[in-house]
Order: sequence, then C-alpha cells, then structure tokens
Amino acid sequence: MESQHARSGEADDDAMNSAVSTLDTELLAEDVRAVPVSMDAFLAQVERRAFRMAELNLGHREDALDAVQDAMLRLVKHYSDKPPQEWTPLFWGILRRRIVDLQRRRKVRSIVVGWLGGRDEDGEDLPAWEPADMGPGPLERLHDSQSYADMAAAVKLLPQRQREAFMLRVLEGLDVAETAQAMGCSEGSVKTHLSRALQRLRDQLEDWR
Amino acid sequence: MNAPDNHLERRARELYREAARQLDPATAARLRAARRAAVSGADGSSLAQRLLQLLLPAGAFAAIAFAALMLSSPVQGPTGGTGAGLSPVTEADGELPPDAAAADPALYQNLDFYGWLAKNGDSQASR
Repeated sequence: MESQHARSGEADDDAMNSAVSTLDTELLAEDVRAVPVSMDAFLAQVERRAFRMAELNLGHREDALDAVQDAMLRLVKHYSDKPPQEWTPLFWGILRRRIVDLQRRRKVRSIVVGWLGGRDEDGEDLPAWEPADMGPGPLERLHDSQSYADMAAAVKLLPQRQREAFMLRVLEGLDVAETAQAMGCSEGSVKTHLSRALQRLRDQLEDWR
Repeated sequence: MNAPDNHLERRARELYREAARQLDPATAARLRAARRAAVSGADGSSLAQRLLQLLLPAGAFAAIAFAALMLSSPVQGPTGGTGAGLSPVTEADGELPPDAAAADPALYQNLDFYGWLAKNGDSQASR
C-alpha cells in the first residue's frame, strides 16, 4: 500500500517536473540563454531578475539591493576564472545563500527587538526601527500588478526550500542540475521540493485556472 | 496520469520577467552602479594582485641580498680591528674625558711616572 502511494507520489513529481521541462523547451525557443561574452554582460543580463527574486524573498527593496550587490561582488571576486557556462548556477547559489543570511539576521534582530519590548509590523518581518521603504513599490509600474502581487504573496507562504526550488526552476528557468547546484542538494530533492511547491501554489492560486 | 496544465508556471514566469523588465529607473540605475563597482573592483584587485606578485619576489631578493652583504662585510673599527674592546663612548666622541669606570686603574696610579716620561721624551727629542 505504502509502496503504491510512494510510486504514485513519484509519478506526480515526474509529471509536474515534465510539465516544467515542457515549459522550458517552449520558452527556450523564444529566449535562448546565450553564453555570456563577459562577466559584465552576464551580470547585466541577470541583475534585474536577481533583484526581483531577492525582493520576493526578503520583501524589502534595500535588503534586496544589498543581496544582489553582494552576490555580484562575490561572483566577480571568486569565480571570474570559471567558464562562463558555470556562472549561472554559481551566481544564483551565491544569491540564495545571501538571502538566507539576511533572513536569519533579520530574525535575530526581530528577537532582540522583542526582548527589548518592541513589536514588528506583522509578527516577524521588519523590526521597529527599520526605516520605511519609501522607494517606488515593486508593482507600481507593472502592467499586471495584481497578479504579480498574488503570486508574490503565495510564493512567500511556501517553505524556504520549496520557494527556492520554484523560483530557480520555474521563474528563473534553471535546469534540474543547475537548480540542485544552486540549492546545494540532490536533483531528486529539487524535484520533490518543486512538486510540493507547485501543488501548494495551485491550491493558493485557484483564480489563475 | 496526465501531465498537469503548466498555465501556472508559464504565467508565473511571464509575470516575473515582466516585473524585472519594468523595474523603476532608480533601482535599475543602482543595480547598474553595483555591477560596475563589482566588475571594476575586481579589475583593481587583480591589478593589485599582479603588482604584489611582482613586488614580493623583488622585495624578498633585496632583503636576502642586504642580509648577505651585512654578513660578508661586518663593520670594522677605525684601527682595522674588530673594535669589540672599545666602548661606544670613546668611539663616538674623542673630545670627552675618559670614563673613569672604563679606564685602566693603573693609569691613575702611575700618573706621575707617565708625566715624567712625557717630559723626558720631549726634552730628548728637542736635543
């Protein structure tokens, strides 16, 4: 019985992952990922998407900018000599770790603020002294801003690893191996996390159907 | 089981890419500046590294050469000896009176004899 259940779960994972692969193939036809000619060209190609990804994870513009800037610096400093084909998973891996670092740091600050008697706006987000984000909102210039906001809210509710798998694999379009490298886990884990993330998102984004 | 509809994935990716394209100019400018700083910083540091790679062996060679020079030709006193027995005060300044502690005590005991010797020596030379 359990083995039947496990087999059906694996079949679901495979089906979901094959759907993402189909999407990759279709999108790759219109948006071929060329090998960058230089580090500058590579960073110019990914910087805006990296910012959006960091912003989706951190929910704060300045923190997102810091994370992207730091990821750029580290990639250039430590991996410039690597072949350009390897820059993509390396960059997203560095950014992912930077995001996790910032989230942890923020959590510690929140705990300290809690001890000191301060309160966050919504439980565990920004501490009391955090300056308000006065820059233009991420959705102001977006045509389909409500849909993006819905998606961002749903993605934010995902557990960390599922969110990472969804963002890297579906949003950024990394293949399974690259996603596994960026996440520091096996390809099988990527497939499992992604399958669960897609199930949750389908439940939360019913209106999209 | 049929493959699930990939509408969600497609829509999510489209929105994400559109959001990246529609980034406000201020943020885009800051990202550009960050990229240039990262790339130029790396250029600067690699130049510094190359300079360091060149200067480090040159500096090491100079230090070794200096040490070898010092070992092969130790400093010699004005009389040609090693100068080890001379006190630094008498070497440095001959105008100063001799240090009582460093001088030979026999010199003071036989001061009259040395005076007589000097006088006789002068008179013999004048003859």
